[in-house]
Amino acid sequence: MAGKNPIYLWVNEERYEQLEKAGLAHHTEERLAGLKVLIVYADDDQAKTFVQKFGAKHDTSTTGSIELLPKDVKHRLFEKVVEKQSIDVVGDVLASYS
Amino acid sequence: MAEIGHGGKEIQERIMQPAEAKEKIKGLTQIPVRKQIANEIINLAYGWFCPLEGFMGKDDVDGVVKNMRLADGTIWPIPILFDLSQDEVEKFGVKPGQSVVLEYQDNPMALFEVTEVFEYDKAAICQAVLGTTEDKHPGCARTYSYKDKFVAGKITLLKEPKINEPFGPYFLPPLKMRAVIKEKGWNRTVAHQTRNVPHTGHEWLMKGAFFQTYGDLPIEKPEVGVVVNAIIGEKRVKDYIDEAIILCQDELEKSGYFGPHNHLSSLTFWDMRYAGPKEAVFHAILRANLGITHHMYGRDHAGVGDYYGAYEAHHLLDTVGEELDITPVYSMNWLYCPVCAEITSEGLCNHKDQQQKFSGTLIRSIVTDGVKPPRLIIRPEVFDQIMACAEKYGEGSPFVTEEYLEKRTPVFNIEPL
Repeated sequence: MAGKNPIYLWVNEERYEQLEKAGLAHHTEERLAGLKVLIVYADDDQAKTFVQKFGAKHDTSTTGSIELLPKDVKHRLFEKVVEKQSIDVVGDVLASYS
Repeated sequence: MAEIGHGGKEIQERIMQPAEAKEKIKGLTQIPVRKQIANEIINLAYGWFCPLEGFMGKDDVDGVVKNMRLADGTIWPIPILFDLSQDEVEKFGVKPGQSVVLEYQDNPMALFEVTEVFEYDKAAICQAVLGTTEDKHPGCARTYSYKDKFVAGKITLLKEPKINEPFGPYFLPPLKMRAVIKEKGWNRTVAHQTRNVPHTGHEWLMKGAFFQTYGDLPIEKPEVGVVVNAIIGEKRVKDYIDEAIILCQDELEKSGYFGPHNHLSSLTFWDMRYAGPKEAVFHAILRANLGITHHMYGRDHAGVGDYYGAYEAHHLLDTVGEELDITPVYSMNWLYCPVCAEITSEGLCNHKDQQQKFSGTLIRSIVTDGVKPPRLIIRPEVFDQIMACAEKYGEGSPFVTEEYLEKRTPVFNIEPL
């Protein structure tokens, strides 16, 4: 997988419980005053697709993060993480839009 | 008592009585205008642009481009232009000495007493005002999109615009704003320029500026007010919707993080030029005309991309400060420090490797997920207001979408005479 471009999925208590059940809570990190975040990664091609298809912004100059994704896409990413019990979900979610 | 605005000129509203308006426009040609021009007509008529009384002539534009001054020597950084194509000039019979009616939303809006029709080098405007001629700069793109003829002349509103909800209470033109400030008994006021919903970094920018502005004033009674002045103008997809911006700013006061004794939310109609330092001076003039005594400036004020240095606006303001009736208040960034366990200033906290900086992009990402952040990041009442605005005004999104642009209620309407 060329390139590792983070997508931040923010985690509240309800989402944290879902991640615990899926055995993935340990993947979360604390950011901004203790707010938890789960990071999933897109490769460079997937990042391009997010930009072209969903109008996302790819911060190529600093962190490489993919921002301003539509709410629906971000929700699908989180739902797929829980369903698949894996953080390797970007390909599945993109496929669900094709 | 006369209210004196920028350039030492008295602020006088240029608005006709309905009966007079009907009589004045009889038989005059009507020219439709776009939203930017409608915004600027309002600014000219109410005094936001004092000492200007109308769209600029060539001498003023020349002065602005070459010296950042009007022809009479008054500091002015951005041309205020009315553009038409040559075909339109001919079609509408626009010429000096004749008046026309400017029409918006199919209704007569303003009387335009034409004094001059001229051309000006748009690239020269861009270079002087924006510091670049690159068309990828949004201010250049706007300037290049102007038609080739510029028309100068005085503007008089034919009727006050109808400000639609929820914006009505926040429309405080210069004379009204000055009256409100007097009523509140504020000795000093500090303007907070914004196009954002506030996170606590913004809240503390305002609180820090409040203390800076307070300075040596007595503290027995409230003497200083923070005046949030939201810029309401052209929207782009993924901006915050206007309703969320103004209502969330006000929510900070309604929920007690400020109070009516030290905080006031208001708006100005203006399409940002992203002119960085020049726009900083322009914002100073707008807010001085509102009667505000101090103005907050952070890093890269009104900048875009990497066109301007972080403190270039401060440096320009320092060179013209004595000619502006407003005192700049320079603000450092605020951030969250997990060691201090509070919002703190980059100028205070020394836990450099642990500081968590606010980023607009990160906050948008959190808001998009609908995940309520800790109250130290976004106040819960503000977050709830964002979500409420998304439902009520944004077709489910707090960010501008194509659907919002298509379906939104205009901020103001021009109604029939």
